[in-house]
Amino acid sequence: MLYRFVLLILGTACALVATKRADAHPHVWVTMTEELLYAPDGSVTGVRHAWTFDDMFSAFATEGIAQKRKGEFTRDELGPLAKVNIESLKDYAYFTYARIDGKRHKDVFAEPVDYYLDYDPKETVLTLHFTLPFKTPVKAKALEVEVYDPEFFIDFGFAEKDPVRLVSAPAQCTASIAKPNDGNFPSSLRLDQAFQTSEANAGMGASFANKISVTCP
Amino acid sequence: MLGVGVVVLVLAAGAVTGAFAQVSPLAAMRQPPPTGIVGWVLAEQAMFYRALSGLIRAAKTDGSALWGLMGVSFIYGIFHAAGPGHGKAVISSYLVANEETWRRGIALSFASALLQALTAVVIVAVAALPLGATAKMMGETVRVIEIVSYGLIVLLGARLLWVKGRGFLRALHEVRSSSQATTVAAGHVHHTHENHARCDRHDHGHDDHALHGHGHSHDHAHTHDHNHHEDDEDSALPWGHAHGPEPEELAGPGGWRRGLSAIVAVGLRPCSGAIIVLVFALAQGLFLAGIASTFVMGLGTAITVSAIATLAVAARTAAKRVAATRAGYGTLALRGVEVGAALLVMAFGILLLTGYMASERMGMF
Repeated sequence: MLYRFVLLILGTACALVATKRADAHPHVWVTMTEELLYAPDGSVTGVRHAWTFDDMFSAFATEGIAQKRKGEFTRDELGPLAKVNIESLKDYAYFTYARIDGKRHKDVFAEPVDYYLDYDPKETVLTLHFTLPFKTPVKAKALEVEVYDPEFFIDFGFAEKDPVRLVSAPAQCTASIAKPNDGNFPSSLRLDQAFQTSEANAGMGASFANKISVTCP
Repeated sequence: MLGVGVVVLVLAAGAVTGAFAQVSPLAAMRQPPPTGIVGWVLAEQAMFYRALSGLIRAAKTDGSALWGLMGVSFIYGIFHAAGPGHGKAVISSYLVANEETWRRGIALSFASALLQALTAVVIVAVAALPLGATAKMMGETVRVIEIVSYGLIVLLGARLLWVKGRGFLRALHEVRSSSQATTVAAGHVHHTHENHARCDRHDHGHDDHALHGHGHSHDHAHTHDHNHHEDDEDSALPWGHAHGPEPEELAGPGGWRRGLSAIVAVGLRPCSGAIIVLVFALAQGLFLAGIASTFVMGLGTAITVSAIATLAVAARTAAKRVAATRAGYGTLALRGVEVGAALLVMAFGILLLTGYMASERMGMF
């Protein structure tokens, strides 16, 4: 009896401790616009991110940065901050995950290139632009790119307008997006046509991730 | 009988741990869609947090927006603390392990929440105003404070474990000896002795007790009992003795010093959200409004943490009542709960310190 009780106590304690907490509270909101870059041969060479931060985080991030004109930041002035951001993002795998033909792949992305920060003085928000090239261009029937923070300190969400663009993609390729906690999940849009509902994602259940699915039949 | 007791105890423990809102079943999944209560809390706090920026902007031109800002800050604080965060878990575990009163729980919650607001204000005031520090520097400052804070939580847990572990071993020893048909009187001696150990939480060390002898300690224990109506029914029982101090004792030098370790361990690390709001307010030329908002947020946080801490104490009290139905094993079970709670405090500290359990992140710095 005694030992059973001690075991129960220890078991409860261990179970509590062993459970990894992933439901944090975000302090940063990112509105993202994504581009998938295609090579002439129809393979995907990389993902181009444009992440706009919320105004409070933008104010926080730009604190203490010297500016020539008050209320404005040039790309040069924001250069060091962009570098810090990009370097820190490496630790989080750039919050970008790829699934090629249904299989999740690790380490498919090379170091980011063409990165810079923009400041919108009217909205007082920062936008981080960077391209994440695939180590080897992806030629797949189905490519999924997910952008999310598994720990949910950063709340990623697609932009309302034109969240995904396929840049010089073959004509038959279509992209759709899926958002987490979306009332009418799965939602989908065909970029070349009007919005339409796809049944392809039905049954997958709500996911935490913002997912871009590209199919090139 | 004992079986029922154990079940109730475990249920109570479950209620306490559930109240932490720390480890929801969702967390076990790698990509949890925040649904249910956790999701709702997250959604609400996100909404209020985002409303803060608009209100701070509005306050620039319209003074009456300040009232809205304070109201939203308060509600944000309440929701913020209801979401995951190690503070209330550590405080609740500390209270359970240390057999503290609910009043003391509330006092600890408020003190740590206000300290948290204060550190946020101090960091931004010192770093941003005279030094022109960047977000990266502030993030690094927070990281250093974080390591100190988590280290303190480990130490706090280790100390609790040391004290409570000895209490548990004594209870174990006592159960063994009484099952070997030792006299009841001997058992009582053991009990009172063990209560001395629990008094160690006061400003005097264990060695003092040995020197002072039984008379002193016994008086001490009885003073508690008289003021403590909740436990009157238990006072005839050996484990009805030592309790946390009365509220008036809390203000005394020893009372504060005792809780100080928990307050500092939990309250030292500022909330990232508060720092971001403060910097934003500073950038808008409304630093004072930001400071007020931060403290009002702290007030809201304190209320939620107090509620959870009170729940933890209530569960502990319920467990004690159940334990009272069975002498030896009941005490042993209670000591076991204390050891478990002490272990939890230490485990939280270690997980936070090693980065396995991330509590906060400042974004991308």
